[in-house]
Amino acid sequence: MQQYLLTILILLPVAGAIALAAHGLVAPYRRESHYRWIALGFTIATFALSLLLLSGGIGEDATGAFKFVQNVPWIGAIGAGYHVGVDGISLWLVLLTTLLMPIAILSSWNAVEKRSLAYYASLLILEGAMIGVFVALDLLVFYLFFEASLVPMFFLIGVWGGQNRVYAAVKFFIYTAVGSLLMLAGIIALYFIHAQQVGFGTFDYVTLFEALREGRMTIGARPEFWLFLAFAIAFAIKVPLFPFHTWLPDAHTEAPTAGSVILAGVLLKMGTYGLLRFNFALFPGMSRYFAPLMITLAVIGIIYGALVAMVQPDVKRLVAYSSVSHMGFVMLGLFSFTEQGMQGALYQMLNHGVSTGALFLLVGMIYERRHTRMIADFGGLAKPMPLFATFIVFASLSSVGLPLLNGFVGEFLIMLGMWNSGFDYAWIATMLAATGVIWAAVYMLWMLQRVLFGRVTNAHNARLPDLNAREIGLLAPLLALMLLMGAYPQPFLNRSRGSVEQVRVRVAAPHTGGTFTAGVDKSSNVTGDR
Amino acid sequence: MTNHWLSVVVFAPLVGATINWLIGRRVRSEAFIGIIACGSVGISTVIAFMIAFTEANGAALTNDAATPVMSHLWTWMQVGTFRADFGFAMDRLSGIYACFVTFVALLIHVFATGYMHGDRGFYRFFAYLNLFMFMMLTLVLADNILLMFVGWEGVGLCSYLLIGYYFNRQEAGDAAKKAFVANRVGDWGVILGIMLIFSLTGSISFFDKPAMEGVGAVESFLTVARGMPVESFTWGAIFAGGLTSAAVLLFIGATGKSAQIPLFVWLPDAMAGPTPVSALIHAATMVTAGVYMIVRCSQVYVHAPTAMFIIAIIGAATAIFAATIGLAQNDIKKVLAYSTVSQLGYMMLACGVGAFGAAIFHVMTHAFFKALLFLGSGSVIHGMHHEQDMRRMGGLKKYMPITFATMLTGGLAISGIPIFAGFFSKDEILWKTWSTASLGVANAGQILWLIGAVTALLTAVYMTRMMVMTFWGGERFREVPAGGQASEAHAHADDEDLKPHAARFDSAGDRPRHETGAHVGDAHHGSPHDEASDLTIDDDEDEHAAHHGPFTPHESPWVMTVPLIVLAILSTVGGLVGVPYALSSLIGLGDINYFEHMLEPAIAHAPGEHGAAANGGGTHQTPSASNPEWLSPPPQAHDGASPLSVGDGSHGEPGGGRAHDPHEVSMERLFTGISIVIALVGIGIGWLMFQKRPLLAMPRLLENKYYVDEVYNASIINPLKTGSRNVLWLFFDVGVVDGIVNGVGRGTREIGSVLRHLQPGFVRSYAAIILFGALAVIGYFAFSAYQVLPFTR
Repeated sequence: MQQYLLTILILLPVAGAIALAAHGLVAPYRRESHYRWIALGFTIATFALSLLLLSGGIGEDATGAFKFVQNVPWIGAIGAGYHVGVDGISLWLVLLTTLLMPIAILSSWNAVEKRSLAYYASLLILEGAMIGVFVALDLLVFYLFFEASLVPMFFLIGVWGGQNRVYAAVKFFIYTAVGSLLMLAGIIALYFIHAQQVGFGTFDYVTLFEALREGRMTIGARPEFWLFLAFAIAFAIKVPLFPFHTWLPDAHTEAPTAGSVILAGVLLKMGTYGLLRFNFALFPGMSRYFAPLMITLAVIGIIYGALVAMVQPDVKRLVAYSSVSHMGFVMLGLFSFTEQGMQGALYQMLNHGVSTGALFLLVGMIYERRHTRMIADFGGLAKPMPLFATFIVFASLSSVGLPLLNGFVGEFLIMLGMWNSGFDYAWIATMLAATGVIWAAVYMLWMLQRVLFGRVTNAHNARLPDLNAREIGLLAPLLALMLLMGAYPQPFLNRSRGSVEQVRVRVAAPHTGGTFTAGVDKSSNVTGDR
Repeated sequence: MTNHWLSVVVFAPLVGATINWLIGRRVRSEAFIGIIACGSVGISTVIAFMIAFTEANGAALTNDAATPVMSHLWTWMQVGTFRADFGFAMDRLSGIYACFVTFVALLIHVFATGYMHGDRGFYRFFAYLNLFMFMMLTLVLADNILLMFVGWEGVGLCSYLLIGYYFNRQEAGDAAKKAFVANRVGDWGVILGIMLIFSLTGSISFFDKPAMEGVGAVESFLTVARGMPVESFTWGAIFAGGLTSAAVLLFIGATGKSAQIPLFVWLPDAMAGPTPVSALIHAATMVTAGVYMIVRCSQVYVHAPTAMFIIAIIGAATAIFAATIGLAQNDIKKVLAYSTVSQLGYMMLACGVGAFGAAIFHVMTHAFFKALLFLGSGSVIHGMHHEQDMRRMGGLKKYMPITFATMLTGGLAISGIPIFAGFFSKDEILWKTWSTASLGVANAGQILWLIGAVTALLTAVYMTRMMVMTFWGGERFREVPAGGQASEAHAHADDEDLKPHAARFDSAGDRPRHETGAHVGDAHHGSPHDEASDLTIDDDEDEHAAHHGPFTPHESPWVMTVPLIVLAILSTVGGLVGVPYALSSLIGLGDINYFEHMLEPAIAHAPGEHGAAANGGGTHQTPSASNPEWLSPPPQAHDGASPLSVGDGSHGEPGGGRAHDPHEVSMERLFTGISIVIALVGIGIGWLMFQKRPLLAMPRLLENKYYVDEVYNASIINPLKTGSRNVLWLFFDVGVVDGIVNGVGRGTREIGSVLRHLQPGFVRSYAAIILFGALAVIGYFAFSAYQVLPFTR
């Protein structure tokens, strides 16, 4: 059972999609409303099964070893294997995915009117692909899942999105696909390097990692430079790191609510997860080399995203830009190469999924009622919708990092890590990043004021119904998590400690392989070698 | 010692808030909500006093060893060497704070049940108020600086919620947001200060904690700081990344929370909240958090003379700046708001000159008399049917005798008349300022004293003006108001009968509805009528006709006057716990300065003056230009503090080592005399100027608050908005980045249109083309990667 659990988790949602299709084709009394129940059932079952991962002893020892491992040969000719496993880094991301999925389905309950079969099937396939991304330990398998997650999301935006959906979907697809093709080239290059030096080619992450760590395989400085970039650009687009972020506001804004939730909650984390898992572990030297640049871009992203969020006239676009700011924090923490910073970054990934997911859900709820997302169309909603007001204030406070709610723990640890990272001018980066807490308060509270407070100035808003039981039910777990993760983060942090340390030790220590040579230094415009 | 009842002190109000939020909103019984709210704070009060004074519970304030009472709940965060606990501790400092905060809050809660009577959001108000108490007690009792920051931000949140309590009023929303953002600017400094302290000392705990089950021992950062050298008095020290930098960063937070220059602008606007909120949060408790933090970290500050100097300057400047503005305000709450800013300036000044005990003493007396004045103003506003403009008051002492008498007490206390509480604390601050040895600049103490003395004069003048305008002179409320706003402020009682809960949210400003039938002849129920030009979608709002005749002010009910009386008594005698030696010895009582003796173990002294006459005003250093004490290495005076003790070594044995230099004592008496003269002169000036002409026009510059808000808007806020919109978003994001992306896309489409004739129009063919295309791209990349990358070691 242990070794099949992850495969079951990947395949169960896909089976759900097949069941949907079968139901649509076969069942004599098929009705549109059946699909959502089927989808909900499968996602809840997946979530329930994924909770078994907590029993696997992940994080109980300091080694951060992979658990629930399944490793079988797949395409023998090229040495590709189906290798999956979960450790302290991926554990919470898998659980975040399986938790957000039923919530996303519930949020679409009445919102999706056309082609609901295809809609729910897309969501289910997406879930399988996302879980696959986080548990894949073979680079080729990882790449396949990474790409596979793109397609359903492309359709979700392009078919069920807002008015400008096709533009947004194509932009999203092209941006991400360009990045991931670079990564594919990198993966293939790694295969050949391993083949050349060790004698057989492999896509296996663990094999590559061990070979690099034990010095059986070394990558020269110049190839490592390009390999790092190939992976990093793919992931930076996904995060998105400034200045690769412009697909995100369009995609988030045009996507249906469930799409935005999944996009912000899970898909963006594939970028930061990839950096932590692959770039840091496989190219530690270049990770250190590029850190000043990445830190600079992260800090710019934090401030830039917040300032642009401040002036958005569209609530959803505001939340989207706030993601740019928050993900900047995650990048900052990762590239601090300190225990606090990296653990904080991992924690902030979860926080962002929970908080921003909740915010997108809430925005979706008023969109369903008013069919507008413009801040100017609202005002005084606290009066007709007091519960909605309470919930959105709560989620916003979590998003701005109020202590005792989840966002604070992550942001504080990240900044603490950056402050103590030992980089030159780290304190300046930290001080600038810390202004993010001011900007967050400005844009969030200003939005809240214009949406919730003041007098009801638009007659359409005067009689809006407050949240119903379904909406409360799908928000409640997220709100509870915000409080729990803010007041008692230690169980979460303990589980991921060993695995993060494993990577940190690798990336923070001087690299055994090629050191950076002056020749390559000239060929790049990156400065600030450490 | 460990005593988990301490956690009950903190959590009882949270339970109250939860009950009121979940159950109170459905019950809608004011009695139920009031009992829960006052009861939960009452529980905190009783237990806090028990822990503070009874031996069985640890006697945090009175045990001889000054052992703090602690309650460790769980480890909040532990990553690497960084550890933050979720635990509370009551030592001498936090004990004093916890006692007066809970007690004053209890009185204000009781007052508020009367003041908020009939309010539609009654449950919401008390839930917020209780939540505030939870956060405030967390702030005060936290055993480490990060948990203190939880309370610090939490009280800011509650302040936000309560300022914006009447949330459909634009100015309430604006004020709330302004308060939160201004506080956040300060919080930026606190966060960075905490991180710097951690990287300097490796700890963020206020206390040395022994190892407990599952968690290791912790050394206080204050203990570590004590062993560090005093930093030099230079501007460069601010940016050197040492204790001075940490002290300055933390002080930035204090300027936000305690409304100092340049971040004070939020506090006057915060008066848009209900008056009990102004009394509790914006006068007595939350705004003194900055002072608390500085005193709590005094061990850091005494090592940072530059930071101390900055604090003293900012404090003195804020004190006089706000006092001049307070002189010219016509809204009774605005006068008190600027008065609060000014008094907070005094407290900062005291911190800056190293008189941490005096600062806390003033915090406590200020809590009594300023809460009294605010609640008194609330009673006036209540009795005046929601009028806040003093130009429409006058002659109220006949109608509201209890309010008048109690507010007079408060006025005398803040003006600095002997016996009243404010006299002792303010006098001590002024004397300590004059006699300070901790400022590295020649005569700085004397100059600051002069500023403080002028401020004291101004304080007496504006307080007298406020009292005269409100309680003496002609009954101006009988005159037909010129502006017409006052007439709108009174809606007819019939509305109450027609719509029991109507328009609660719509009351303008801090103008709650009266209780029905509580007063004989109280015919006017003030649900003030907002601008009638609004859309008529809120039909319950437009039914309030604004027709009414002249009215008679009335005294408030007992739930409001009893807290006033209690606070008036405290404002009178509350200062006697801290009578300095120079005065108590004058009447043969010897040394009865209990307050400073109690606080002594919790505060730090500059290493140079360790063991010297640390209290009673008997410091013997004379100011000198070079001030070598700051530059000398600190004596490593470890006095065998128990492992479970305040992270501060100066456990000066009460009664030991205190010298009362006769010359110093007589100087102090002289300055006390000067203070009394200043207060009397100020009251005299106020009486002569305003008694005959209460509507005397004041300088426009002062009335408009030096145009600080306008300057901030023009120089910071507007450029930021315009720049973000036009430069960052529309130009860079949409123009540059998307322009490039779309340009590439367009180019691709051009190519596509050339290739269009290849399209056969079948899905299957598309799929095949995509597949082969993808394979071709992948193959190309794989091939070129293999070619490009030189696979050498």
